[in-house]
Amino acid sequence: MDTAAIHPRQRERSAPRVVKRSFQLPKPVRTALVYITLWIAFIWAVFPFYWMIATSIRPKDEIFQRPPSLILNGATLQNYIDLLVGAQFWRFAMNSLLLTVSVTIISVLISVTAGYAMARHRFKGSVTLPLFMLYGQMFPPVLLLIPFYVQLRFLGWLDSLWGLIPVYLSYMLPLCVWLMRGFFSQVPFSLEDAARMDGCTRWQAFWKVILPMARPGIVAVATWVMIHTWNEFLYASTFILSDTKRTLPLGLSGLIGQYTTDWGVLMAGGVLTAAPILLVFFILQKQLVSGIGGGAVKG
Amino acid sequence: MNIHRKLMTGAAALALGLGVGFSPALADNIVFWINSPLASSPDAPIYAELKAFEAETGHTVELQPVAHMEMERNLTVAMSGGAGPDVMALDIAWVAGLANAGLLMDLTEQTAPLAEGYQKGPLASGRFEQRQYALPLYTNNVALFVNNKMLADAGIDKAPTNWEEFREAAIAMTNAEKGTYGLTFGGSRTGAFQLYSFIWQNGGEVIDDEGKVRVGEPESVEAVEFLSSLYTEHKAMPDSVLTANSWDEVNAPFIQERAGMLVSGDWAIAALKNGNPNLDWSVHPLPVGKQAATVIGGYNLAVNANTSVGDASWQLVEWLTGPRSVELMGKYNRLSAAAGAAAPEAIAALPEEIKPFMEQADAGRARPVVAEWSQIHSEVFGTVWDSVLRGQPVADVMSKADAQTKSIMGQ
Amino acid sequence: MGARVYPYLMVLPAVLVVVGVVVYPVISGIMTAFYDVTLRTLNTGTAQFVGFRNFERVFADPVFVQASTNTLIWVVLNVVAQLGLGLALALLLHRAMPGIGFFRSGILVPWVVPSVVAVLTWRWMYDPSVGIANEILLKLGILDRYHPWLGDTATSLYAVTVESIWKGTPFVMLLLLAALQMVPRSILEAASMDGASGWRKLWYVILPQIRVSFAIAAVLTFILTVNNFNAIWLMTEGGPLNSSEILFTLAYKYGFQRFDLGKASAVATMLFVGLVIATTVYLKLIQAKEGD
Repeated sequence: MDTAAIHPRQRERSAPRVVKRSFQLPKPVRTALVYITLWIAFIWAVFPFYWMIATSIRPKDEIFQRPPSLILNGATLQNYIDLLVGAQFWRFAMNSLLLTVSVTIISVLISVTAGYAMARHRFKGSVTLPLFMLYGQMFPPVLLLIPFYVQLRFLGWLDSLWGLIPVYLSYMLPLCVWLMRGFFSQVPFSLEDAARMDGCTRWQAFWKVILPMARPGIVAVATWVMIHTWNEFLYASTFILSDTKRTLPLGLSGLIGQYTTDWGVLMAGGVLTAAPILLVFFILQKQLVSGIGGGAVKG
Repeated sequence: MNIHRKLMTGAAALALGLGVGFSPALADNIVFWINSPLASSPDAPIYAELKAFEAETGHTVELQPVAHMEMERNLTVAMSGGAGPDVMALDIAWVAGLANAGLLMDLTEQTAPLAEGYQKGPLASGRFEQRQYALPLYTNNVALFVNNKMLADAGIDKAPTNWEEFREAAIAMTNAEKGTYGLTFGGSRTGAFQLYSFIWQNGGEVIDDEGKVRVGEPESVEAVEFLSSLYTEHKAMPDSVLTANSWDEVNAPFIQERAGMLVSGDWAIAALKNGNPNLDWSVHPLPVGKQAATVIGGYNLAVNANTSVGDASWQLVEWLTGPRSVELMGKYNRLSAAAGAAAPEAIAALPEEIKPFMEQADAGRARPVVAEWSQIHSEVFGTVWDSVLRGQPVADVMSKADAQTKSIMGQ
Repeated sequence: MGARVYPYLMVLPAVLVVVGVVVYPVISGIMTAFYDVTLRTLNTGTAQFVGFRNFERVFADPVFVQASTNTLIWVVLNVVAQLGLGLALALLLHRAMPGIGFFRSGILVPWVVPSVVAVLTWRWMYDPSVGIANEILLKLGILDRYHPWLGDTATSLYAVTVESIWKGTPFVMLLLLAALQMVPRSILEAASMDGASGWRKLWYVILPQIRVSFAIAAVLTFILTVNNFNAIWLMTEGGPLNSSEILFTLAYKYGFQRFDLGKASAVATMLFVGLVIATTVYLKLIQAKEGD
């Protein structure tokens, strides 16, 4: 696995075909095709989000309009103002922020070390351990609520944001470790050995050589943890009781009525919840480029 | 949490000792879970009401809003885990399940002298196996919403008052070319909820007071037949009836003026006003079959069986459900279930569109208070309604439902 | 410290957290499947050991068969579509061109939207009265009238699946994109010099490089799909007439509608065992290939 070279047999197999290289579209056409495909994918991905935004700024009497209109005839920011002016939203956001930052940092630290160790070293349990950790994720979480609640109550972690951190970690870590192990297994460790021969300590080699190469993987894992912590609902809704300790998703569910829902406000809440993460990712995505793969694949 | 509670208790007791000369037992801290619409912002009326309660009794109340969607599950998880609130707001349909599990405090003795103070239907919704476990915080029932213009255009001059007129109006307002329908209705569980009123109106029963299952009797079958034929035979309901499991989906065709009638509770009022301010509609008592009947809904208050502050909790329940609830619920545009709320002068003080609900409150009936109700409602009746809409013969479906209900009830 | 202790120390924190928090609930969840746990017995502490009774009761439920079939369809469609589309998107986005950051962020949007709101938005878009999806399909001439996507027993499961694919694909895309970015440039250049290009380079050079990440993405997608509850529950509650019921929603109904926690745990345990076996076998196969 660690060998980065192409399998010789595969190279043989592919060699004769090179001759009958098939017809290729001219470059501008290919670029245009790529852009068209990207736009289709983009619209498909973003349209429901657009629809949320549209619903959130529509005048209330237009939400049930038939036929629904793709374009807005009028817009109002009232829903956003209502949400943002109340102190509740900011408190929920602060709670979510606190949780997300802590859980993301801790899980990235723990999973980078564990993932690296598992990918780099063959040791007893290096294969079974991560598998066992993953097993914990396979039991439908809803049915673990009661024993979980009992356990947290016993530990005195109920109704506490700090108590929620280990719960989230236990839920995020197995997947993070798995992901990190996968990414690290892609890194050619020969480079690390070379660095150590050049006089780097184990730590320096890891810090200066391996980490930059694994950066896209780390960013991907951090994004995963960030998004899932920010949006986590089930555990928070069960283990957080006080109004002052609620997170944003709990605030959102409070906007869903027993009978009818004010869709404009709910959608505004959804947009406000998603926006910070989108912004963070927009900044982070530049880090998806690693020290080694950095360049583009020329299509 | 514990220290916090002790401190609060201490502080409250101290304040009482210094302030007033008399002390009603000890001052306790009550944890109170309420459905979140009643505590949607810090200036919701409930907060002022609790302040008044605290000032009067010296207890303190810790209010924790929980969304309706999560309330039942969270209560179950917390109380099964040996914790949970002292006082809780419950959808009236949940009382039996929790009472049966022994999670609710028996309030029979405390309630006995006060029974006259509540409307009969809502009070019955908190009674399980002859014991009272919950008292009504607010109530609602379903009535008939009519689009005045569509009705007039169909050449009908007054809202239907009986089944025959109801059917005629529904068919008259249906026009395939214009894409209009007579009646918008819910699907699955929501449709089932609307169904019960009609079953009772026809003299049918789901489960009678003795606990006997009577789903398969001809009166019930006839009622289901009557309603479902409006879709299957007369095409007087839009296709949304196949999916509409939320009230927004039920309301939508009415808001769009594609459906002339809507069977719904007072919660539709705000949605209609928001959704289409120009809509010309009015509310009428539900059309009457062999007798008047309307299904009631709403929330009850109950006390955790394992609470350490039972007396204080009961005081809070009594306070919030008692005569004061008329004014409190008025602030929310909801209906109090106190007997006083149904008095003519109290009704006269209500907004015009809410009056019909309170006027027909006497005909209000609680759904059967049996422990298995959640299952019977969603799995049996939700399925009944979904099946007959999709063309299965009503009699077969109902006799199957009868057998199924009996087996669930262990009969 | 010897080199042999190192890896264990590095793995220790992760193992401690996971084992410390998860083990008791999972074991307790599995035990529940063998007791007649209801709200009542739970509260009075009188739950009896019943052996496999709960499993027998589950097998006797006709809905169980339908839910199993639906689960299979649901999982296969989701996993195949999410991996396929995710890989295609990752390859598309793995290039340096103007505006690529914009596309990357945009395509990630579904994953970022809070699940509850996303599901409710889709439900609203499918609505037979005001659904924009219906309106668009009508305008495109694909439909001639609004269709109750979630209310038609023939389309409900697939309509929900579309939402789930929409929501899940970006995660796969992101994982594979990161993996692609980590393919050393030297390998690609070597391949180009060999004259390999286009599909061949993809198949023989790039995919083998990212296959571990791909395998992991497959496992995760699989687990997340089986345990995806929100999508189905908030759109159809498994209905109409159980047409979109999967084992998870069935377990939820047993547990929190009927309060028959023993029966619910029996279903959950079966799901759990199924997942454990499937993942283990799959990973063993992958490893066997790796050792090749």
